[in-house]
Amino acid sequence: MTMILTILFYILIFPGLLFCVTAGLLLSGIDRKLVARMQGRVGPPVTQPIYDFFKLLGKETIIPAAANKKVFLTAPVVGFISLVTIALFIPIKLFMPMSGVADVVVILYLLCIPSLALIVGGAASGSPFAGVGISREMVAIIAYELPLAIILLTVGKLAGVGGVTFSFDEIELYQAYFGPNIAHWSMLPAAVAMLLVIPCEAGSHPFDIAEAETEICEGPLCEYSGRPLAVFKLNAALKTFVMPALFTALFLGGMGTGRLWLDVLIFLAECFAVMFVSMTLPHAICARLKVEQTFKFYWTTVTGLAICSFALVWLGV
Amino acid sequence: MFKKLIKKSAGKSPWLFHVNAGSCNGCDIEIVACLTPRYDAERFGFKLAGTPRHADIIVVSGPVTSQTKERVLRVLAQAPEPKVVVAVGSCPQSCNVFKGSYSVEGPLKNLTHVDVEVCGCAPKPEAIMAGLVEATKILREKRGEN
Ligand code: SF4
Repeated sequence: MTMILTILFYILIFPGLLFCVTAGLLLSGIDRKLVARMQGRVGPPVTQPIYDFFKLLGKETIIPAAANKKVFLTAPVVGFISLVTIALFIPIKLFMPMSGVADVVVILYLLCIPSLALIVGGAASGSPFAGVGISREMVAIIAYELPLAIILLTVGKLAGVGGVTFSFDEIELYQAYFGPNIAHWSMLPAAVAMLLVIPCEAGSHPFDIAEAETEICEGPLCEYSGRPLAVFKLNAALKTFVMPALFTALFLGGMGTGRLWLDVLIFLAECFAVMFVSMTLPHAICARLKVEQTFKFYWTTVTGLAICSFALVWLGV
Repeated sequence: MFKKLIKKSAGKSPWLFHVNAGSCNGCDIEIVACLTPRYDAERFGFKLAGTPRHADIIVVSGPVTSQTKERVLRVLAQAPEPKVVVAVGSCPQSCNVFKGSYSVEGPLKNLTHVDVEVCGCAPKPEAIMAGLVEATKILREKRGEN
């Protein structure tokens, strides 16, 4: 009985639903505020994404006549569920509520689902703008998925003494004994590559080719309004938390302090720092890239960095 | 609790969709000026949306020409409720210098309900901001009703 209650607590409150939604919304609010400050503006309040979310909940939901109603409405929810699941599996220092249930490969699969939900939902809406957005989103997925897989392999090789490990427990334990992975100089290129993968995965500014609102009317989201749109916006906010959290778990792990609340605070501060470097700064200083530029950038520079690190780790330097 | 939050949020995150109904581009530039660092409409939560489906406030500029009339009405129909229509510039109010032209079908209020009118040719960004803030009040009232 208590076990079921604990698991429910994990799923619904911490580190699941409530915690990651709040963290995601606040982090993306801070992101917007900082971008505004860097551009010399006052900027919206930090709570703006929360207002946006609740406003969208209160709006009318229009389902286009050409849309497939069921797919159109379930796609955002599927993406949301998979993001909350990821948040459940990412270890906070040594605190792993669902330890042993899922490993890094599962995360890799789950990370794909929100983007696929966007594609499926956009396709179901039957809008030509969504069609263009879908093809761009696919290019983006293909672009970042290769370096991301290599990065995970590198981390697994480093942490798995002798072989390759994909288990979060081993990765965290390794970091607890030998210091955070980022302190190994052979891991530095992989860390930089991961920092570059984050904005593309989260669809944030220089790489938001799929949702270019000035070119293709927000792409897959074009026909969405009201509640399903609110869930999609929530997914985007969740990604601003989940991706930096994954980076923190893979590269900035370690002993922790032993007190859970302090660990969580440190973890959130690290997530904020990662978000600042990988999402806020590029957003403030870069203009949106073209589709083929994004693709080329990821398959040459970012993949190159990841492979470089992989080779170094494999050779045991 | 959610109802209260939704009501509170209604006026706090107004997203704009801008329709150019044959304007001379003067008003459009002033609307963009509202988003620049000097005036920064984003501090009130305003955001330029890419599609009418996401919009709370539809901003119309220009005297509504025969070519654009049908499009303006279609965009207005595509926006989800509750929505507010803001007419920016003298053109949508009175057709301004284009009055009497064979290709002008305005003013806008003959075609649809207009909630806020901002006068001037072109209106100052300050005036547009004041009009938009007025529009958020109307949004909140509309939310309170239903
Ligand atoms: S009101 Fe003046 S500036 Fe604005 S569209 Fe009309 S003519 Fe141009």
